[in-house]
Amino acid sequence: MSGATDRLRRRVGRVRTQRGPALVDAGLAALPTLLAVSLGVVPLVLLFVESVSPPVTIENYAALGGSVYPEIMIRSLGIGVAVTLVCLTVAYPVTYWLAHRCPGRYRLPVLVSFTLPLWLNYVVLNYTWVWILASDGVVNAVLTGLGVVDRPLDLLRTASAVGVGPLELPGLSLGLGFVHIYLPYVLLTMYVSMERLDYRQVEAARDLGAGDLRVFLDVVVPETYAGAVAGALIVYARIAGAFATPQILAAPAEQMIAQIITTQFYDVLDYPFAAALSVAFLAVVLAGFGIGALSTDVRAALKRW
Amino acid sequence: MILRTEGLTRRFGETTAVADLSLSIAAGEFFSLVGPSGCGKTTTLRMLAGLESPTAGRIELDGRDVTDRPAQDRDTNLVFQDLVLFPHMTVAENVGYGLARSGVRRAAREERVAEMLSTVGLAGFGDRDPTELSGGQRQRVALARALVNEPAVLLLDEPLSSLDRTLRAEMRGELRRIQRDVGTTFLYVTHDQESAMSMSDRMAVMCGGRVVESGPPAELYDRPRTAFVADFLGDANLLPATVRGRADGRVTVDAGGGRFDAALGGARGAPDGRVTVMVRPEDLHLGGDTLTGTIRDVEYRGAHEEYTVALDAGGTIRVRSGTASRAAIGETVGLDVFDAAVVRREDGDGDAADPETARPEGSR
Repeated sequence: MSGATDRLRRRVGRVRTQRGPALVDAGLAALPTLLAVSLGVVPLVLLFVESVSPPVTIENYAALGGSVYPEIMIRSLGIGVAVTLVCLTVAYPVTYWLAHRCPGRYRLPVLVSFTLPLWLNYVVLNYTWVWILASDGVVNAVLTGLGVVDRPLDLLRTASAVGVGPLELPGLSLGLGFVHIYLPYVLLTMYVSMERLDYRQVEAARDLGAGDLRVFLDVVVPETYAGAVAGALIVYARIAGAFATPQILAAPAEQMIAQIITTQFYDVLDYPFAAALSVAFLAVVLAGFGIGALSTDVRAALKRW
Repeated sequence: MILRTEGLTRRFGETTAVADLSLSIAAGEFFSLVGPSGCGKTTTLRMLAGLESPTAGRIELDGRDVTDRPAQDRDTNLVFQDLVLFPHMTVAENVGYGLARSGVRRAAREERVAEMLSTVGLAGFGDRDPTELSGGQRQRVALARALVNEPAVLLLDEPLSSLDRTLRAEMRGELRRIQRDVGTTFLYVTHDQESAMSMSDRMAVMCGGRVVESGPPAELYDRPRTAFVADFLGDANLLPATVRGRADGRVTVDAGGGRFDAALGGARGAPDGRVTVMVRPEDLHLGGDTLTGTIRDVEYRGAHEEYTVALDAGGTIRVRSGTASRAAIGETVGLDVFDAAVVRREDGDGDAADPETARPEGSR
């Protein structure tokens, strides 16, 4: 019998109580790992293989530079960033209030109400905005009924026309739909950070002469930015790559990347090019994610989530 | 008076944290508010800082009414109990924060921060992170951060409570020295009567949201008017006594089976009948003949020994004596009383029986 086995046996003897749980841990970890590899990594590899076919070519990637594709990719990312910023702007005061000003007994009900949109199908959520903003929808019915306007306003699927080139703010219906669906994620992530902010730091800053703005910039932001960045990382890629919301609520001129990819897959049937589009978009999104996650504070906030 | 409050009151729902509190603190004074936890001292401090609004009453700072001014517009600064340094700022940024908010230019700011850091004994620590510092050093940073703004009154909320005994003693001396150096008025809140007595020019003892007594520490310790203060500031023997005579603000009492003199303290007029007398253990001396009793217990305390003596007349009394004069358990001893004071005894409702109208003990 070799010395190594002997040593192993001695160690096993010493940590006998730990060995059983270690096996159980390995068993427990195996299933999710298997799922992650088979459902996550394998399809990505297949997607990449598809994107450089037939046999091996970079032709598909070369074609990305042409036509409207760069413009659509930029627009998608721009909308992702814009909507994320709106979510953060809403989440900051709301979670500050909830974590530090709201009476304790209302905190849980309010927190649960934040998550309500997560319980509903997002296609349904998108269609509620059609129902609200359509020319015969709720808002227009009220406005025309009250005589505020003569004709129904074009609220639904109207581009904002605010912006530079492809970097354009989303139209009203598209923006509202996105915020409605993705705000809960940002709220929950921000809330975790905001709750960890020691309120006495706010008091200390006030005591030293800081007004509301300075308190926000000097104490609240430095103590919670990790949660804000984590929340942003969680939603921005999903907004930029969303399909249902732009399909239902975007103006024709606001086509986003997921819609183009779908068209390539289902209508044009150019699988390799569709795969190349997907991989390119994924790379751009991951780059943003990587930059954000460089900060250890942000990584910690992401783990907490 | 640099700081004056009138009828300051704060209620939280049904409970009254601070009731009708009136204080006057002179410029340059080191004033302490002491009391057991929950007596309202921290709430008082937060109201003075502007972090809590009073339910009633007014606060005057340097002759101006500041009752409704928020913390950022008030010429007070607070040293928090847990210090609450800004973790994402360096020591110098922490200390300079208040100056930056009041618009002091960078160059002037850096100069004053460096000056203040050397005042608190942290010269050259400006670039450190607060988390790299020891407990005592963080205390000094917190102190510097509040002092650098030269507030009319510096408010301190038990900042020494987290330190160990040795460090606390050292910081007490430091606080006193710094206060003398900068000349700022200090209002110090603590439940630690020892710290308060060793540092303060004057102090107020609080209980149940009210000030029970206030005055210089030695006066409160030696001549308390109430049994509560007598007990809170140190070990006290409280003996039921009968007044036998009165002269020059002193009374002669019968207590514990003997007759001795006691100071009348703050009590006015001539009490007769039954009163309560406070005798400090260190004001009793083994080997006299005023009181007699039997030693029940001896505790060795290093610098002195503490005896529990069962008096022949009933009841027990604690005696503190130097280790030179030793006595053993069971020994019969005589005691001399060096000093005693008549105090008011308060029952649960806080009602005081004044010596002037003192009733027999049994009638309560």
